[in-house]
Amino acid sequence: MLFWILVAILTAAVAAVLILPLMRAAAPLPSRHSHDIEVYRDQLDELNRDREAGLIGSEEAELARAEIARRLLSASAADTTAAEEPPKRLLSSRLAQAFILLCLPAVGLLLYLTTGSPGVPAQPLAARLANPGDDISILIAKAENHLALNPDDGAGWDLLAPIYMRNGRVADAVAAYDRAIRLLGPTAPRLGGYAEALVVQSGGLVTAEAQSALQKALALDANDPRSEFYLALGLRQEGKNAEALAAFRKLAGSSPADAPWLPLVNQHIAELGAAEPNTAAAPPANPTSEDIAAAEELDSGDRQAMIRGMVDGLASRLKEDPDNFEGWMRLIRSYVVLDQRDKARDALREGLNAFPASGEQGKQLLALGRELGIDASGEVK
Amino acid sequence: MIIELGHYALVLALATALIQAWLPILGARRGDRALMELGTSAALASFLLVAFSFAVLAFAYVTSDFSVKNVWENSHSLKPLIYKITGVWGNHEGSMLLWLLILVFFSALVALFGRSLPETLKATVLAVQAWIAAAFALFVLLTSNPFARLMPAPGEGKDLNPVLQDIGLAIHPPLLYLGYVGFSVCFSFAVAALIEGRIDAAWARWVRPWTLAAWIFLTAGIAMGSYWAYYELGWGGWWFWDPVENASFMPWLAGTALLHSALVMEKREALKIWTVLLALMTFSLSLLGTFLVRSGVLTSVHAFATDPTRGIFILAILVLFIGGAFSLFAIRASHLKAGGIFAPISREGALVLNNLILTTATATVLTGTLYPLVLEALTGDKISVGAPFFNMTFGLLMLPLLAAVPFGPLLAWKRGDLAGASQRLFAAAALGLLVAGSCYYAANGGPVLAPFGIGLGVYLIFGAVTDLVLRSGLGKVAFGVAWKRLSGLPRSAFGTALAHIGVGITLIGIVTVTAFETETVIEMKPGATVDAGRYSLRFDGMRQGRGPNYTEETGHFTVSRGGVTVTEISSSKRLYPARRMPTTEAGIRTFGLSQLYVSLGDATNGGGIVVRIWWKPLILCIWGGALVMMAGGIVSLSDRRLRVGAPSRARKSARFAVGAAE
Amino acid sequence: MTRKQKRLTIIGGGVAFLMAAVLLVMFAFSQAVAYFYVPGDLAKAGVAPGTRIRLGGLVEAGSVKRGEGKTVTFSVTDTLATVPVTYTGILPDLFREGQGVVAEGAFVAGSPVFVADTVLAKHDETYMPKDVADRLEAQGVTLGGKENIR
Repeated sequence: MLFWILVAILTAAVAAVLILPLMRAAAPLPSRHSHDIEVYRDQLDELNRDREAGLIGSEEAELARAEIARRLLSASAADTTAAEEPPKRLLSSRLAQAFILLCLPAVGLLLYLTTGSPGVPAQPLAARLANPGDDISILIAKAENHLALNPDDGAGWDLLAPIYMRNGRVADAVAAYDRAIRLLGPTAPRLGGYAEALVVQSGGLVTAEAQSALQKALALDANDPRSEFYLALGLRQEGKNAEALAAFRKLAGSSPADAPWLPLVNQHIAELGAAEPNTAAAPPANPTSEDIAAAEELDSGDRQAMIRGMVDGLASRLKEDPDNFEGWMRLIRSYVVLDQRDKARDALREGLNAFPASGEQGKQLLALGRELGIDASGEVK
Repeated sequence: MIIELGHYALVLALATALIQAWLPILGARRGDRALMELGTSAALASFLLVAFSFAVLAFAYVTSDFSVKNVWENSHSLKPLIYKITGVWGNHEGSMLLWLLILVFFSALVALFGRSLPETLKATVLAVQAWIAAAFALFVLLTSNPFARLMPAPGEGKDLNPVLQDIGLAIHPPLLYLGYVGFSVCFSFAVAALIEGRIDAAWARWVRPWTLAAWIFLTAGIAMGSYWAYYELGWGGWWFWDPVENASFMPWLAGTALLHSALVMEKREALKIWTVLLALMTFSLSLLGTFLVRSGVLTSVHAFATDPTRGIFILAILVLFIGGAFSLFAIRASHLKAGGIFAPISREGALVLNNLILTTATATVLTGTLYPLVLEALTGDKISVGAPFFNMTFGLLMLPLLAAVPFGPLLAWKRGDLAGASQRLFAAAALGLLVAGSCYYAANGGPVLAPFGIGLGVYLIFGAVTDLVLRSGLGKVAFGVAWKRLSGLPRSAFGTALAHIGVGITLIGIVTVTAFETETVIEMKPGATVDAGRYSLRFDGMRQGRGPNYTEETGHFTVSRGGVTVTEISSSKRLYPARRMPTTEAGIRTFGLSQLYVSLGDATNGGGIVVRIWWKPLILCIWGGALVMMAGGIVSLSDRRLRVGAPSRARKSARFAVGAAE
Repeated sequence: MTRKQKRLTIIGGGVAFLMAAVLLVMFAFSQAVAYFYVPGDLAKAGVAPGTRIRLGGLVEAGSVKRGEGKTVTFSVTDTLATVPVTYTGILPDLFREGQGVVAEGAFVAGSPVFVADTVLAKHDETYMPKDVADRLEAQGVTLGGKENIR
């Protein structure tokens, strides 16, 4: 409310400043020529000085004087003939006032309402830091500021790393885990978290670096289910299905019967068991929607991280290589599963950039959007 | 709330500009004084509104308000305060807001100091200024809004490009914009003259100070930018003929021509139409520069992230204003009365030569800058037009101009005496040759052309001095009389002399650096020494350091001369973690007017580091000359004659002066 | 001289000067500009040794040999062809393997090595030399997010 009052005051003040000259009685307009006359007089003056200084010959000076005098005379003549014009007060004054009174608020409000964000308060960082509330980004920033000053506070990094992971800042999570491990020494949860972040960073792929971290984690705690799971996943991705199956079975065997990750593990076991004779299984490059659905069985922190990470990884890979129709379909679905409809819409739009709606695949994307209830209207070019 | 208020003030400034664009000119057409005066208050109001808006954006930067998208994209809470402030214009949106602020600032100056202008002229000028302001305000609001918000606000910003985190950035763009945009006043005056269909001595007197002011700022901005690139980029070069540099150099060349042709017009009422055309061209080149830099047609350190709609919008503004102005010119130019005549050998003739060469040089630079774009559009061939092209064309074209410069002030108006002027310049030319000869002797076997370049510079300097000496009659009359005459000379005479001396100094700097600089690339281990110029450098080793938002590795060097330690130099490589971006901070030490310049490269396997060392003789002359040129402009600007033309107040005293002189 | 003669002298002089300037510019265009090539173009373009050109492309991963004195060698590739480059001096801060680069210089007669005297890399993380991006894109090489190139 206060904002709109200030807006009104500002508009009124400007309108008043503009209308004020229109209220004043107009004085007569001096002739244009009087300005010229002054200039010519001054030129004569300068000519005299030049001549005294001997900068100009007397003959040239006389010629120049005659020339300037001629201009001066004609300007003077014009000055007297052009009688001072009577002040004009035209009907336009009222119209002008009306124009001002209309133009200022109309243009002002119209443009402001289309471009502005009324009601959004200023948020100086100092005030936010003093009173963070549940603003997670500011809590992170606070921790970051603390760590920038005390980069050797391992506990801080240890605390921050999973938070980064949960907020999708995977690269920062990798760095934070790395620091925590170096400062506080390796533990199974730290190494497991580090490996998980690496896996998510590479888009779901268990890289060699992640594997070595996982092996170290298992060396420290042979019963770390997360490490066991990712190591098994890595084996499966390498195509070592038999070893993967064994690893998954071992994990299933050592897990309590109500472990939340058990269904996912069992699913892998089932798939591997069925495909056992098939030795050349293609590594699953993209997380499947089943993966995502199954991941819901993991405990909540891991699940969140895994889903987000896989989806983020897919999104960033699609950014680099948009020529992947299947990927776009999956990404859109995943976002809907995660209930991130805005992102789903953005993904649909980007997908349509890569596969125009006129083509067959573009039509499929649009159909998917309709099926999932994502509004793609206006996005089609 | 304050942010949104700043945003609204910007919108309101646009509305005010729309009013200022139409009502005053309507008043001028109908002789309604009240409507004309509206222009003055509207100009002041727009300025205050945009200034408030700009202050609000600066406030958002200082308080690290990351709910403003622009702040989040270009700032960081740990950045030093000075770079938080300069960061306001270190990005596309903010710099366009600065552009607009300076434009309305100039309108406000015309409104404030234009009291002695003919009122119809002033009203029309303010209206034309408002057209430009409205177009750019709309551009800022619709395509580059610095007040776009982010919800929820991020906790930390993405930091400013480290290359731009430098004090040079604090000064360079505002100065450059003051120059660029200052020419908008000349443009508006020219358009107003065309609309009114009349142009007179008062017009020329009025255009000159604005041209001078804009020219001084542009000179400062270009020199500053050149020095900034020199010490910040770590490449040791001070001018790259980069398209973006050319974009600022072209208005400078055209503005210099305008400065001289306005002189002819004021004194002799000649070259009227040409002067109007030049005024239009100069600002058109400023607009073209803005377009080239802001549209993303060119990529360089100046081109911030761009999107195509912006380019199209600026192109539309460009076409509208340049096209409109030149169409108006085509229709109305014949209505302007032609002025006085003069012999080819005369002060006017010299100034015409100046204009001819400067505009040709401008056209050359323009061709070189646009040719690659045109060629690529037509044939798909990609070429780069760089220093070799410009040195060959621009350099060669400027030579006759430089030789002719000292003649100008010595020739009389209307009909001059070339032989007489040559005689008077004999001493300066002889001195130039002497210096050239001794340089050749000193650097025997060195570049043959360089001594003559230096000689030309000396000749320029002493040619300008000759003019002052002759005017005072020094040597012919008693010293007291000469001193009195000298102090009685109009300030513009000193301004001219200073500006021409500045050109000479810059020329000497350019030639000396180009011909005599030494460059050494060497791998150094701690304890190793290397010679550069008359000095030798010993590498003492590397040290780690940390700044507020970066970490750095610094190499330390001890400089000695003849075995005696003179000073130390440190040069560093920095890493800015927020953008994971490294920069090189060159180590520079000044000896008189010369500099030692040290830049670090990569570490080598053997524990050494690659170092690049330049000895740059007289390099400070390049920018020192620009400073002297600016001083000339300022002295000229203070000349009382530029303030004449106000009927009511100056009349009596002027009349009295004329009477007394007669 | 009459008024007309004076005017003609001035105009004539001006036109003569302009003609000279135009000829100079045309001469300079034929002599002093550097064409831009990517390695794949070189075979068909047939660049004579000693001609200054700009060579653009990606720095081939694993090709950069630095740390052996002041001369750096690396290869510029557009994935179709690869050209070895030597450069003496200090590489730009943002010169990296796998990133876009423009090297200016010439081939030496009788050698496939391109000797660069100037090496330009990105000004910041979001900048890629436009010429390189356009050409490589035209040849079907995908380079990271498109929005980063413009």
